[in-house]
Amino acid sequence: MKFDRAARRKVFSNGMTVLTGLSIVAIMVPLVAVIYQVVSLGGPVFNVALFTQGIPYPCTPHPGVTCHQGGLVVPIEGTLLLMGLSALFSVPIGVGAAIFAVEFGGERRSARIIGLVADVLSGVPSIVVGAFVYALLVIYYPSIVFSTLSGSFALAVIMVPIVTRTCEEALRTVPNSVREAALALGISRWKVTLRIVLVSALPGIVTGILLSVARATGEAAPLLILLGNGCEHPLQGITQEGCALPLWIYEGATSPDQNLIALAWGAALLLLVLILVLSVVSRMTLDRMARRMRGE
Amino acid sequence: MALSDDSPTKMEVQNLNAFYGATRAIQDINLKFSDRKATAIIGPSGCGKTTLIRCLNRLHETGPKTRVEGSVLLDGEDLYLLDATAVRRRVGMVFQKPNPFATMSIYNNVSAPLRFNGRPSREELDAAVLRSLKQAALWDEVKDRVDAAATSLSGGQQQRLCIARALAANPEVLLMDEPCSALDPIATAKIEELIAQLKHDYTLIIVTHNMQQAARVADDTAFLYLGKLVEFGPTEDLFERPKERLTESYITGRFG
Amino acid sequence: MNSDPLADTGRPRGYDLEIRQLKARAVAMGEWALGMVHDGWRAFNAGDFTAAQAVLDRGTELDRLDEDIEHAAIAFLVLRQPTAGDLRTAAGLLKITTHLDRVGRLGFDMARITTAGPPKEPEEVREVLDRMDTVVESMVLQSLEALGHDRADLARELFRRDDEVDQLHRDANRIILRELRSKANDTSRLAADLLVARHFERIADNACKVGEKTVYALTGQRRSEYLPRHRYTPYALETPTTTRGTPEDPPSS
Repeated sequence: MKFDRAARRKVFSNGMTVLTGLSIVAIMVPLVAVIYQVVSLGGPVFNVALFTQGIPYPCTPHPGVTCHQGGLVVPIEGTLLLMGLSALFSVPIGVGAAIFAVEFGGERRSARIIGLVADVLSGVPSIVVGAFVYALLVIYYPSIVFSTLSGSFALAVIMVPIVTRTCEEALRTVPNSVREAALALGISRWKVTLRIVLVSALPGIVTGILLSVARATGEAAPLLILLGNGCEHPLQGITQEGCALPLWIYEGATSPDQNLIALAWGAALLLLVLILVLSVVSRMTLDRMARRMRGE
Repeated sequence: MALSDDSPTKMEVQNLNAFYGATRAIQDINLKFSDRKATAIIGPSGCGKTTLIRCLNRLHETGPKTRVEGSVLLDGEDLYLLDATAVRRRVGMVFQKPNPFATMSIYNNVSAPLRFNGRPSREELDAAVLRSLKQAALWDEVKDRVDAAATSLSGGQQQRLCIARALAANPEVLLMDEPCSALDPIATAKIEELIAQLKHDYTLIIVTHNMQQAARVADDTAFLYLGKLVEFGPTEDLFERPKERLTESYITGRFG
Repeated sequence: MNSDPLADTGRPRGYDLEIRQLKARAVAMGEWALGMVHDGWRAFNAGDFTAAQAVLDRGTELDRLDEDIEHAAIAFLVLRQPTAGDLRTAAGLLKITTHLDRVGRLGFDMARITTAGPPKEPEEVREVLDRMDTVVESMVLQSLEALGHDRADLARELFRRDDEVDQLHRDANRIILRELRSKANDTSRLAADLLVARHFERIADNACKVGEKTVYALTGQRRSEYLPRHRYTPYALETPTTTRGTPEDPPSS
């Protein structure tokens, strides 16, 4: 009798081990597949030209016609510009809201509402954000509806809740003893918040910003609406139609021309690499800044 | 109530009441602190002693739903009518658990009150840091490494660093909330010695749950129970011959 | 159910017991000393060398009791670091044992100066000394009762009774000196009587001191707070107030 139960338990335990192993493999498969696909199709176009030349004329290789590979200069510029602008808009708002919630809100309603709003906002689909910005600008400022600037507004809206939440958490990890110690020295409330608490939470805040930038960089939906058609020629100004990597991936992948399709895969690979680098850098930054501050 | 001698009064508390929300933590406290003397405040946990001293440097009001009624006079001026930040520069505080700024060096910690409240020159900062570290009896131990991280010091050294930092702000009164309770006996002894020295230049108010410590360092002692002042007088008298039965019961360990 | 209500204060369980034991030891020492006085006087009075020797042999035990209490009181002070009433009690007991030791020593000395054979002095002398013995022994007993039962009132009362002893002492002096001058009696015996009278006065004084320290331990009051200041003058300048003896006796010289 006893032997039976023990044997059954062993079989069950081994079975579960196998099943969990299989599910890990199952998770890995799509990830590996995607990476493999992107690397093998985008790899061929990865050369210096990718970073120096603009979008080429559509062309499909056949005898007698050589197609230029072209490059991604314009979408890269566009993405960088968007990252900068959207950070410029979202960071002050996000950090400001977090400071209010943690330092001045305390237990009050307003502090909890900020958190709630941030959570709700982060759940809004990015296409809805894009449509919202579109509708708003059409009414109030039609001239910039299709521009890099409007795209950055949308991305900023997507970034704000992430910045707010991570900043809030970073501020909360600063122990209250620090605030009290500073206040007790006769340092004013604002200086305590900005020059001591904020500085102390800086590693966490910077990480939060980098992560939100990484997230926003990959958003395509609002850009499809708002950027317009600026990929074919060099960028003119932020109030003019613009371009970005995700937008180009869509345009290039849906075009009939082989070279444009190849470039689209290149952009996909580039985008993945960019986001990966951002994520790794943000984590390393957190680690290094924190250690340097602790004086190690 | 009588004090240890006729020293002038540096700080006075009149009809002080402090609240956390609806709870009254201290009730109708009237107390006088003599200039350049050490006054100890003793009492069981929850008797309001920490609340009391946090009212003296207006830290109590920074908490949620807190309220203070009554007055706290420093050299005759009501501190609650002045700017809170200015008050805290005159009435410094050292906390129970040493709390140096972890992201700063020893030098930057001690010079923090000066750096954040003005634009002092490098010479001024150097002088102030030297003076404060010497006053806190820490200079000899750290003079070769003032740029090291504050967190590289031991617990007792960190507490002395916090004292140096508080002294750098040049306060008139120094509040100490159980300054030795997180320290080992040797560090405690060093701090008690330090307190005896500091008395010459500053008015000290020390909250402690250790009665032998109160007896060793303080000229006067106040006993608080359930938010009320039960007895106040010269330390020797209070410990040899307390007037209130409640006081006697507490200090002989019959409750608390 | 936790039967000890003091279990969760900072106060160790044995604390109160230790204080009670300290006091009990002091009382026991006092009783031993009192015994030495009682038997010492009787030995001297009867001129009984055997009885006197018995008293002398009790001296070592007196010393031992004294040392034990001193040791225990100091240990209590070091280990328990008492304050307020407990501190006053421990410190007070250290002094009380000194006074009780003196009481015992005075009884010891009475035995030591015993002279041979039944007494050969006038009845009057023996009467007054007997009276002193009664009063003084009762005073010592009262001081021990005050100590053992925390009776500050009994302790304070001792000072009043001390006045009576002083008076008896003066009377004894006057009578003995008178007898000495008449040269009709055994002078060495009378000289010893003078000493004994003085010993009794000293015993009473020490009993008062025990009472004084007891009051201090119980209430913190020092003597000046409950006794009027008494101005002493040399005996030679005092006028006789006793009903005994003839009024024309000159002041003792």
